[in-house]
Amino acid sequence: MRTWRIWLAVPVSLLCAAAVAACGSSSSSSSTSSTPASSSTSTTAAPSANAAVAKLVPAAIKSKGTLTVAADATYAPNEFIAPDGHTVIGMDADLSNALAGVMGLKATISNVKFDAIIPGLAAGKYDMGASSFTDTKVREKTVDFVDYFVAGESFYTKAQGGTTISGIAALCGHTVAVETTTTEQTDAQTQSATCKKAGKPAVTVLVLGDQNAANLAVASGRAQLGFADTPVAAYQVKKTNGQFKLVGQTFSAAPYGLALPKKSGMAPAVLAALKVLMSNGTYTSILTKWGVQSGAIPVSGVKINGAIS
Amino acid sequence: MSTSERAQEPKRPEDIEAVPVRRPWRWVAAAIVLVIAASIVRSVATNRNFHWDVVGHYLFDSRVLHGVLATLYLTAIAMVIGTVLGVLLAVMRRSPNPIVSGGSWLYIWFFRGTPLLVQLFFWEFIAALYSTIDIGVPFGPSFIHLHSNSVITLFGAAILGLGLNEGAYMAEIVRAGIISVDEGQTEAAQSLGLSRLQTMRRIVLPQAMRVILPPTGNETISMLKNTSLVSVIGYADLLFEVQQIYGATYQTIPLLIVASIWYLALTSVAYVGQYFLERRFGRGFSRAERATMRARWLGRGGVTAG
Repeated sequence: MRTWRIWLAVPVSLLCAAAVAACGSSSSSSSTSSTPASSSTSTTAAPSANAAVAKLVPAAIKSKGTLTVAADATYAPNEFIAPDGHTVIGMDADLSNALAGVMGLKATISNVKFDAIIPGLAAGKYDMGASSFTDTKVREKTVDFVDYFVAGESFYTKAQGGTTISGIAALCGHTVAVETTTTEQTDAQTQSATCKKAGKPAVTVLVLGDQNAANLAVASGRAQLGFADTPVAAYQVKKTNGQFKLVGQTFSAAPYGLALPKKSGMAPAVLAALKVLMSNGTYTSILTKWGVQSGAIPVSGVKINGAIS
Repeated sequence: MSTSERAQEPKRPEDIEAVPVRRPWRWVAAAIVLVIAASIVRSVATNRNFHWDVVGHYLFDSRVLHGVLATLYLTAIAMVIGTVLGVLLAVMRRSPNPIVSGGSWLYIWFFRGTPLLVQLFFWEFIAALYSTIDIGVPFGPSFIHLHSNSVITLFGAAILGLGLNEGAYMAEIVRAGIISVDEGQTEAAQSLGLSRLQTMRRIVLPQAMRVILPPTGNETISMLKNTSLVSVIGYADLLFEVQQIYGATYQTIPLLIVASIWYLALTSVAYVGQYFLERRFGRGFSRAERATMRARWLGRGGVTAG
C-alpha cells in the first residue's frame, strides 16, 4: 500500500522541479504565426539618450520605458533570426535599438508575421513596425511612416538552369514567388493584368506565407523567379554561395518607412531620433555592417509619409 | 365469518394517480443558462469592434465563395484518399505477414509523427529533393522520367499532403473498428469456407462500420479545418482568400469572422450527414428507446440515444 505512494512522489516531484525551472528561465522563443507575437530582446548596446529627442516621445510610451517593435524575421539582412534561434537581428533590428536608445527607451523586437504587423499597429499592439515596409500611399491610410531607407525590387533565380528576364515587363508567362501582402505581390499581380491586356500570357504569382517559403519555391523550381526587395535578394545570392543569381533590372526604387500607429504621436520623435543617428554616423555604420549602404538616404530624404506611389 | 363482514363489500382500491416526479430545479437551471446565453449573444451583437457590417459585406464575396468551394473540394478528396488508404493500412496491420504488418506500422508511425504543415511543405517543394521521378526496375534501369513539379502540382501537393496524413489516422480508426467485431464472426466465416479477403469484405468490415463512423465524422470535421494549412504553401482555400482580402484592407478580425462563419456552416452540414450515416449503419443494434425531448424533460423516457 505504501509503495505506490513512494512511486507517485517521484513523478510529482519531477513535475514540480520542472515547473520551477520553467518559471525561472526566460521564455523567449519566436515563431511565425498569424497574429500572436513572441518577444526577444536584441543584444546590441543602445546609444545614450538625447534629451531633446526624448522630450518629443509621447507620455504613454515614455512611462512604459520600452518600445515594442514588430518585424517579420524572414527577410535577411534587414530582419532575420540569429543563430541562437530566437533573437531578431539585422539592419532594421539594429536601427530600432539605436532609435530607442536615442529616445531614452529600450526596444523589444518581436517576430511577427508580415501581414499581421500593420493590423497590429492599428490595434495598438505594437509601437513601431520595422520590417522593410515600402512607404506606399495605400499603407499610409492605416499607419504613418518615417522614411529611412530606399530600396528597389529585384528578381533572382537559380544559378543553374534559372530563367533570365530583362525586367518586370518581361515577366509575362513566367511563375514568380512572392511573400504575401508585399509590394512585390501587388507589382507582380499588376504586371499580370498588364500582360493579359496586351494579349500575352498572364504571370503566375505564387503567394507564399513568408520569404523563406518563397526562396524554397525558387530553389525547388516551383517558381522560376523570386521577387523581393533588392538588399534581401542580394543577400540571398551572397549567402547561398552560388545557388541563386540576380537577374533583370531593379524595379521601382521606393522609400522604406518605419510604420507607426496613426494617433500615437511617435512620428516626430522617431524623425528627430533618426536625424541624430545620421549626424553622429550610427546610421551609416549600421547600414555598412549589413552591406546595404547603397540604400542610404541623405538627411533631406528623412520625412514623414513620403510615399511616391 | 360474521354476517357484518359479508354485508360490507371490501373497499375497492382507488385508481392510482401516477404523477411524474416534479423537478422544479430543472426550470431554474434552464433559466440561468438561457439568461447567460442571451447576455453573450447581446454583447457580441452590439460590440462595434466586431465590425459586423464588414462581415456582412464580405460573407458572400466571390473570392470567399471560391475559397469555400476549394475547401470543400480539398476536404472531400483528402477524406476519400485517407479512408481508402486507412482501410488498406489497417488490413495490412492485421496481416500475419510480419513484413507487411511492419511496413504498415512504419507508415502510420511516420505520418502521424511528423507535423502536417511539414508534410505539406515537403510535397510542395519536393523538387528540391527529387527534381525528377524515374519509374523503372527497382535498383535497375528506369524507363520513364517525369519532372516532379509537373507531376505534383500545387493542388497535387495539397491533396497528397492532406490525404496521406489522413490515411495514417484513419488506419488506426479502421483498425479499432475491425477489432471491435467479435472474433466469433471471423471464426464462423472461416468455418463456412470464406477466404480471408471475403471475410474481411463481406463480414467484418460492414459490422466494423458502426464503430468506424463516429471517429470518421470527427476526422472529416477536423479535415475541414486542416485544409486551412494549405494557405501557407499558396493554395487558394478559404483562409488564403480571406488573408488576401485583409492583407489589402487591414480589417483582419471581421474577415477572420467571415472565415469562421463559413467553417462553422460547413461543419454543421457534416453533422447532419454523419447523423444519417450512423442511423443507417446502426440499424438493428441499439435497444435503447429513443426518448423525445419532452419525455426527457418531464422525467419519463428511457436511455437517450447516441
